[in-house]
Amino acid sequence: MQAHPAGEHAAQVAIAHGGSGMPTALVGMLLFIASEVMFFAGLFATYFNARATSPGEWGPPAGAHELDLPLAAVLTAILVASSFTMQFGVWAIRRGDIGKLRLWTAITLGLGVLFLSGQLYDYSVLGFGIGDGVFGTVFYTLTGFHGAHVFGGVVGLTIVLARAWRGQFSARNHVAVEAVSMYWHFVDVVWIGVFSVIYLLR
Amino acid sequence: MATTTLEPRAGTYRRSWVLDWLTTVDHKKIGILYIANSFLFFFAAGILALVIRTELAVPGMQFLDQATYNQAFTMHGTIMLFLFIIPALSGFGNYIVPLQLGAPDMAFPRINALSFWLLPLGGILIFSGYLFGGAAAEGWTGYSPLTSDQYSPGVGTDLWIIGLTLVGMASILGAVNFIATIFKMRAPGMTLFRMPIFVWTVIVTAVLILLATPVLAAGLIALFIDRNYGGSFFDPSVGGNPVLWQHIFWFFGHPEVYIVILPAMGVVSEILPVFSRKPLFGYKAFVFATIAIGLLSWSVWAHHMFTTGSVFLPFFSFMTALIAIPTGIKMFNWLATLWRGKLMLTTPMLFALGFISMFLIGGISGVMLASPPIDFHLQDTYFVVAHLHYVFFGGSVFGVFAATYYWFPKMTGRKLNEPLGKVHFWIHFIGFNLAFFPMHQLGLSGMPRRVADYSPDAGWTILNVASTIGAFMIAVSVIPLLINVVATFINGEPAGNDPWEGNTLEWATTSPPPPYNFDSLPPIHSERPLFFLTHGHGHAAARPEDLEEDPGDDVERRDGLV
Amino acid sequence: MSDTVVGFLILGIGMLVVLGVVFAISSRGGAPTARAQPPKGVHLPGPSFLPVVISVGGALMGAGLAFRGTDQLANPFLAIPGLLVFVGAVIAWVRAANHEWREAEHTSHDDGATH
Repeated sequence: MQAHPAGEHAAQVAIAHGGSGMPTALVGMLLFIASEVMFFAGLFATYFNARATSPGEWGPPAGAHELDLPLAAVLTAILVASSFTMQFGVWAIRRGDIGKLRLWTAITLGLGVLFLSGQLYDYSVLGFGIGDGVFGTVFYTLTGFHGAHVFGGVVGLTIVLARAWRGQFSARNHVAVEAVSMYWHFVDVVWIGVFSVIYLLR
Repeated sequence: MATTTLEPRAGTYRRSWVLDWLTTVDHKKIGILYIANSFLFFFAAGILALVIRTELAVPGMQFLDQATYNQAFTMHGTIMLFLFIIPALSGFGNYIVPLQLGAPDMAFPRINALSFWLLPLGGILIFSGYLFGGAAAEGWTGYSPLTSDQYSPGVGTDLWIIGLTLVGMASILGAVNFIATIFKMRAPGMTLFRMPIFVWTVIVTAVLILLATPVLAAGLIALFIDRNYGGSFFDPSVGGNPVLWQHIFWFFGHPEVYIVILPAMGVVSEILPVFSRKPLFGYKAFVFATIAIGLLSWSVWAHHMFTTGSVFLPFFSFMTALIAIPTGIKMFNWLATLWRGKLMLTTPMLFALGFISMFLIGGISGVMLASPPIDFHLQDTYFVVAHLHYVFFGGSVFGVFAATYYWFPKMTGRKLNEPLGKVHFWIHFIGFNLAFFPMHQLGLSGMPRRVADYSPDAGWTILNVASTIGAFMIAVSVIPLLINVVATFINGEPAGNDPWEGNTLEWATTSPPPPYNFDSLPPIHSERPLFFLTHGHGHAAARPEDLEEDPGDDVERRDGLV
Repeated sequence: MSDTVVGFLILGIGMLVVLGVVFAISSRGGAPTARAQPPKGVHLPGPSFLPVVISVGGALMGAGLAFRGTDQLANPFLAIPGLLVFVGAVIAWVRAANHEWREAEHTSHDDGATH
């Protein structure tokens, strides 16, 4: 069988490493994020359809609190800030600065936890639940699944922080950091969508 | 671990084959697991089909009650689509795609295994409804408000939801794996337009799975919340909208049917050139037609909802008719591939030809249904049942059988017996048409679908009897296949590397391939690397342009796409 | 409730019996076989139980959701073991992946291929 003996072994290695360009693991994360975007698209579709077809006024049921826009705005600021801090961490490790990576990842993690706590606090004072009419259902489903994704991101950040603590990243090799940061930005963008649609657009 | 020093006793070891298969991350073994698992579910859902047909053969409730009948057709549809056809095609994709790309495995081998193991578990959950008061019984489409906890209070529907969600997650992970593999792990020299056509159909399918299945997941979760946590997505009494379910379901559901058919089209496009001794006619047109079908599939979902009164008919009718164009291009390419070829009517070729003819009929009935005036009369009748079986069964399942006979030698090192294969094909083909062609007429004369019984005065009896006979013929046709597989395992004729004189890289290695697939790769200058390796440039081909390739090419060249 | 329990016992015991029989027959093991080595420089994960374990954990959690009692989020007897299995398996997976990445970094590449 005719082959190119000299170049072929390099070829096999090249294939397994994904050759040049974006590391394979990042391609995988990007694709996964695409599927999650479609998941939220489905949930947003239920929100818009419910809003369009449900009779009467659109909002929390009678007797419950109005939506807390200021709190939501604060949560938005927290999450957007955390995207910035995450990106600072990525830039740091691209320069090889693992110390700064640890710092920025810890801050991002803290902001993420703060966001989740704020979300849970909001849930506790709202006064209506998922079973209280269609607004309640779509509100809790949309924000709840977003919160679950934030939690997943927080888990990822914890793992990255732990590995950074043990010095397992370098400028040349930090795919996990890039992957988690992509996911975190995605979670932030979805929140901006959720906030705009539920709190601003009403 | 494979290459590291973590394994304390590297080298020889005794290992139970059960553990071997339970822990494998080798795409070839996983592919075989997918295929074997799918065929088990095929037989289970096939038995349900026989149950349905036996009940329907003559008027009067023979041996089922309505509730059991409803469970039967629901489970039949759900299992056939989600646990047979898609996993079987996935299994062939899993086995063949890395080989056709010249890669040692998929991009994420362990996630590949995870995608598989979620399937039997999801299937068990779905089926287990039978043990807990009744399986889901609302049709594989699960329309609300029938699926609400008010009208379907049993746990069977919840198990259906959960099981399908698990299966959906498995699909999504699989899609990520396929796309990453195809973009990142092609052998040097294999640009995108030199990939085998089967790989093209797999990647377009994977993109559809990646983007459509999450929408189904959203809908299933919404339904679960409605049923269990007092949600109001689909409950009109508290402001919800039952038609919302149909929108969400069919926004997934229509790309889903292209997910089901595209890989089978890829299989057929691999087989026809090999057994016509001619290259695929119009490779690039075929690629663009596949992409066009993938894109258009997002714009037609409401043609399943014409009769709800909630959708804009002209748009969806127009877009649906538009899909006939790329499909027609493919038909033309297949026929042109056959034209003046040296046809070899082996069993895989027979199933491929059967695919073309049966899918043509299914496509025509589909275009008929795309017209709202016609659809308003035929919605929810047996005409639709005929259409969907001609495309799913006459299309995809014929594709699965074609793939089985074509790639069995590669996977096992032995060729299946040809005469037995032909017996399987002919009984299957005749039985299939006998079972499903009469359903066109039944639908046109008004027989509704999903009914357990019908009036003896309706005049539908004789066609139902014919259909039932056809269904049993299909069942009988499986017997030569089973005998063939067992006998070939015991004492089959060795196949060698390339029993069919194929064109693509999977035939450039042993049958079955070694664990990391290739000891050496041939140079890749065209989409038929093995053809040129075997036949070289001096070969007298049917037409000089069949020998075209890029001789001056740098064999190390790859696309820098990602 | 007892219907559910009976159903689970049938499913669970049935599966264990089938697996046990198959295991007993097959673990009479054949001749020692060499573990295949990939080409030098190609790093692929070796065999692993984790995909099966994660799937089982996921299925248990799912079953817990399906078999919930009224006013429960999920059935704790299914969902909690499922969650533990799932989380444990994910942790094991991450640790194994970590390990492999570090091994991949530290084994020498004398084949001339660039990273």
